Amino acid sequence: MSLFLRDYLTVVWFGLAAILLAGLLLGVAAAVRPSRPSKEKLIAYESGVDPVGMGWSQSQIRYYVFALLFVIFDVEAVFIFPWATAVERYGWFGLITMLIFIVLLLDGLVYAWKRGLLRWV
Amino acid sequence: MIASILAQGTDWIRPHADWHALAPEIVLVVGINLVLLIDLWLDDAKKWMMATLTGFVLLAAFIPVVTLAVIGDDVRSMFFDRYVVDEYALILKAMFLLIGYVVVLISQNELEEGGYYQGEFYLMLLVSVLGMVMMTSSRDLVSIFVALELLSIPAYMMAAWRKRDTKSNEAGVKYYLLGVFASGVLLYGMSYLYGTTGTTKLTEIGAALAEADAGPGLIAMQVVAVAFIIVGFGFKVSAVPFHTWAPDTYEGAPLPVTAFLSVASKAAGFVGLVTMLYVAMFAADGVYQPFLWILAALTMSVGNVLALRQTNIVRMLAYSSVSQGGFILMPLAVLATGDAAESALKSVVIYLLIYAFSNLGAFAVILAVSRKTRSGEISSFGGLMSYAPGMGLLMTLFLASLAGIPPFGIWIAKLQAFKTVLDAGGTAAYTLAVIAAVNTVIAAAYYMKVLREMWMKPAPDGDTTPINTPQPIWAALTICAAGTVVLGILPGLVLRFADLQDLTGALGGG
Repeated sequence: MSLFLRDYLTVVWFGLAAILLAGLLLGVAAAVRPSRPSKEKLIAYESGVDPVGMGWSQSQIRYYVFALLFVIFDVEAVFIFPWATAVERYGWFGLITMLIFIVLLLDGLVYAWKRGLLRWV
Repeated sequence: MIASILAQGTDWIRPHADWHALAPEIVLVVGINLVLLIDLWLDDAKKWMMATLTGFVLLAAFIPVVTLAVIGDDVRSMFFDRYVVDEYALILKAMFLLIGYVVVLISQNELEEGGYYQGEFYLMLLVSVLGMVMMTSSRDLVSIFVALELLSIPAYMMAAWRKRDTKSNEAGVKYYLLGVFASGVLLYGMSYLYGTTGTTKLTEIGAALAEADAGPGLIAMQVVAVAFIIVGFGFKVSAVPFHTWAPDTYEGAPLPVTAFLSVASKAAGFVGLVTMLYVAMFAADGVYQPFLWILAALTMSVGNVLALRQTNIVRMLAYSSVSQGGFILMPLAVLATGDAAESALKSVVIYLLIYAFSNLGAFAVILAVSRKTRSGEISSFGGLMSYAPGMGLLMTLFLASLAGIPPFGIWIAKLQAFKTVLDAGGTAAYTLAVIAAVNTVIAAAYYMKVLREMWMKPAPDGDTTPINTPQPIWAALTICAAGTVVLGILPGLVLRFADLQDLTGALGGG
């Protein structure tokens, strides 16, 4: 086994430990606690509010556009945070590269805005 | 492990970027922004300008490719050898840009008359071409994958461009689902390569695999990785048994998009596959040679047999392009036998180049004829010679080239493919050559079927009004015909260009 794969052995042990620990805790709890189900207790938990309608429900397709637009900022954040930790080291080269990246991402936002997708009709 | 990665970060070196070598990509990116922004503020009546603008962007990106080829002294390697501009990259960049230009020419009228989203269409086309141009230079698992997605995702949308047409939607969804699945398989294979060699750089992976091959042999994960990567690209190049999406997608997508997919998207898949095979996985020949042998034999045979039965010309060309893919794969099946590597590479590049011209040309003729007949059936080509002799002659030229009849285009590519396989020698290679020879004859049969319809049969319903072909389509036909004829008659031209020492040189004289 190569050194590289041996590093991954740690991951395997970690995973096994996680499964073992979680299984142990849940198992002990299940063995110890009394089980007296009632109708109220079996309702799906929605932060204290009574659930409305079925689990399968239609949702507004418009949310989809906003979800897509969210991705723009999401991707931006994913790349900017690691970049920001070393921004001095990258210097002007890094700054300009990141600016180009942001401009390309903002293209998507400009497109959505100009096509009227940001308006909630 | 993590500590070592963080330690690498402390001595960050600014990557070397050769602006001249990157110019085609930069021009395309600037062009993409222009097309996007200008389209947003343009009246609907002026949308035709987008096609012109896109054409200029593609031509502008072509200029640095030409100047690089003229200077053409050395290999320009950037980003720590992860992005390389060599002869192999240049000739293919030129091909992709030219394909993009021809597709703009043939889609112009179709889009205008159909009232499709013109600005967005050209934007998608440019993004896809950018992905292809990047693919030719990528020498790193990450950049290959990014390039592949960049060229695929716009293509999924373009396949579904006629959004009120259920067939077009079907085409888009099928292409998308299978394409994403293929990307997943490919990525899985890549992750194994990275996992077992600890690097994403193709040259280093190549060295690691060569070392493993010379010493203890490849471990199981590496074998799986090589197989999965070939499967992933197999979907992209529609090799049997991963071809099932191709006919439906080709038939349902708008014709210009079909032309683009069957030529550019397929070629990009081959470029990725060839780069992976030559630079990264060369030493794993025990794994990929038999696999590619089976793929090549199946692809050309199954594609041909199914093409024989088609009555729709677009479906026929779809299956024919599947089987042509088999011929392109053929020399790769003997890649590491003897010193076949260089000859095989030459064969693949020439084949892709000439196939692009002939196939695009055939699609341009179908587009022009179907503007009158409004039909995709082979029988709608009846009597074409009587009312449109120019178009008929061009179609004859393109189909003869696709069938491999000298002196038109593809025969020289087929010759080179056969030569590579026969030079490599051995029972397996000879068997493959025999299968290919049989398939060449079968292929001639269905191309002849269309020719017979055009030359011998009367026009359907006696309708012999001449067809009215717009100028851009004529321009596209001229480019394709010139490419097909010139490359067929003067094969030396392209053979000299395809003297691709650089990619094979990277293996240490492989």
